[in-house]
Amino acid sequence: MIGLALKMLFGDTAKYLMLVAGLFFATFLIVQQASVFCGLMRWTTATLKNVAAPIFVVEERVEQVNETNPMRDTDVALIRSVSAVRWAMPLYSGIQRVRLDDGSFKTIQLIGIDAASFAGAPGKLVAGHLEDLRLPNTVVIDELATERLSPDPKDPSKKIKIGDRFEINDVEARVVGICKAMRSFTGGPYIWTTYERALQYSPPQRKMLSAVIAAPIQGMTNEEAAAVIERTTGLRAYVNRDFGKNGRDFNTSTIWWYVKNTGIPISFGTTVVIGFIVGVAIACQTFYAFVLDNLKHLGALKAMGMSNFRLSVMLIFQALTVGLIGFGLGLLATSGFAMGALKNGQPPFFMPWQIPVAAFCVIQIICMIAALMGIVRLSLYEPAMVFRA
Amino acid sequence: MFNVFPTLTSMNLLSKLLRFGSIAAAMIGVVMIVMVSRTQAERQMAPPGDPPLMPPQKPFAEAVAATGILEALSENVAIGVPLPGLITEVLVKVNDAVKKDQPLMKLDDRDLRAEQLSTQAQQEISKAQITVSEAQLAKMESQFARLTSVTDSRAVSRDDIENRKQDVRVAQAQLVAARAQLSASETSLKRIALLIERLTVRAPRDGTIIQVNIRAGEYAATSPKTPALILGDTGKLQIRADIDEQNATRIREGQKAYGYLKGDPTVTFPLEFIRIEPYVIPKISLTGSSTERVDTRVLQVIYSLVRPADPPLYVGQQVDVFIEAPDRHKKP
Repeated sequence: MIGLALKMLFGDTAKYLMLVAGLFFATFLIVQQASVFCGLMRWTTATLKNVAAPIFVVEERVEQVNETNPMRDTDVALIRSVSAVRWAMPLYSGIQRVRLDDGSFKTIQLIGIDAASFAGAPGKLVAGHLEDLRLPNTVVIDELATERLSPDPKDPSKKIKIGDRFEINDVEARVVGICKAMRSFTGGPYIWTTYERALQYSPPQRKMLSAVIAAPIQGMTNEEAAAVIERTTGLRAYVNRDFGKNGRDFNTSTIWWYVKNTGIPISFGTTVVIGFIVGVAIACQTFYAFVLDNLKHLGALKAMGMSNFRLSVMLIFQALTVGLIGFGLGLLATSGFAMGALKNGQPPFFMPWQIPVAAFCVIQIICMIAALMGIVRLSLYEPAMVFRA
Repeated sequence: MFNVFPTLTSMNLLSKLLRFGSIAAAMIGVVMIVMVSRTQAERQMAPPGDPPLMPPQKPFAEAVAATGILEALSENVAIGVPLPGLITEVLVKVNDAVKKDQPLMKLDDRDLRAEQLSTQAQQEISKAQITVSEAQLAKMESQFARLTSVTDSRAVSRDDIENRKQDVRVAQAQLVAARAQLSASETSLKRIALLIERLTVRAPRDGTIIQVNIRAGEYAATSPKTPALILGDTGKLQIRADIDEQNATRIREGQKAYGYLKGDPTVTFPLEFIRIEPYVIPKISLTGSSTERVDTRVLQVIYSLVRPADPPLYVGQQVDVFIEAPDRHKKP
């Protein structure tokens, strides 16, 4: 019976390809667009990924990491004084402008970290030493900056190297390290320096402390410590995990801010829905046409005494097979896109395991809808009709 | 179950290729996506952890943190000048140990010396004046003596004698005046010497020169932005810790405290409580920002510490201070 179903399915190559193509496009659209959306949303939390600290303490009403309200310098001591805090260090984060030799300007994300402990320093250094950051007028840049700040980004020999200089707000900056970092939402590269120097690079304001990064004492979870900090200081303490249901998580809070305040989810959501509709439309139509084409054979089988149930199983099996192949091809195309995206660092791409799993379910639902239509048509078909023609 | 297909002869090569090709591609797709998610996982940033160099550990379960600055125990003395003027000589170097009253620097005193010269000349004149007056007196006395030695009262008139007598008294008074003149010019000389002496700035107490901000030839003002010299006792240091006014209620006298050198969290030293400054002052930013900003008021607590042999500590260094203090939400 299964052999027969497959023979029927592959019998007409053109129809088979048509069926697979519909599902392929649906899969590709859903997985690729959802991943790009996730990637883009993840970029908004790049500061949280690049500054790996368990707890971020910010001003009371701050909702997302890219838009902080500065605090007073003494708030570091205030947070340090909380018994649940093992250590707390100041952090500066802001968008500044770099002037290159040829006079052009580039925006950068400037991060200022504590010079003694380097709390908040980049995780992976490709070249240079973090300790050199204690030298005067020094910065650590990320790999994106080596291209972005070079006079000719297309020429690899002109990339920014260790020892190269540029200006941040008319103050000299010398590169002493190159690190790996995640891209920011605004597209500017990340540049690390010490907290004190970051203040010199930035135009003076009355308050400059963007956030305080902290860690809980042993035997206390990040969430518990954050709750204690909030209770004692009246500031807002977020934990730095990944996007999830945790309301105290800064990543989640940041992403939700973008979902609520920007049109990004709507535009991507529309594409995903269109993917679903296209999939359903093409798959159902083609499958229905396929069933109609084979109606004679199916009717013959029915006349030969095959039950409706067995025929339904055949149709469902055919739909499943097409769904699996279409899904696989869609994943192939997505992974091709993903390889390029991951290699270049853009466009944004981040695919949590939930996306392919959900896409698989969606594709199978499309197939089942198509199969259902075929089954309905078939069950209404009288076996006698075969002999009438 | 796929081995059924080769037996089917109705399909041509192309459709076979498409069929198997699509199945194979689908399988490759699944494998590829697994690889992609693995590459993606590799590219993730490290999860949050401890910084490369561990920040100072809190020595107490419940502590108030503060930033402090190292000072000399005697408190740093910013040496001033008595009057604005040009510095002619700085007699000490940084790190010099000085005794009380040791000269530190000299101001330009040429105007006073010029005055001294003219006063000295005045003194010579006064001395000469005395000699003149003495001679005058002697002359008058001898004339008077001659008249009085005449025994015949008719030979000299009474009037003459009276005149001579008065002349002697005038000459005596002139001598006294000349002597007073001399003593006045002597006093004037002493005064000038004292004023010159005042232009040599001396150490008000024993100590070490911590900073020299002035060099010979520079102009010293009476209220400069940076003091000309800073004198302090660097043998024993004290820490002035700034405590945010929000934490000020947790501070009591005699609480235990530890200091950590900024820049090297491994250096720790116990602190001994001296006093709490009774006046809460606006915080001066110690954290090295581009502009000094007053944003809060701070309570200052003074702690002393014995200078450790190693590493060397310097006056003016920043220190992270942890003071054992109960949480304000708990009743002691």
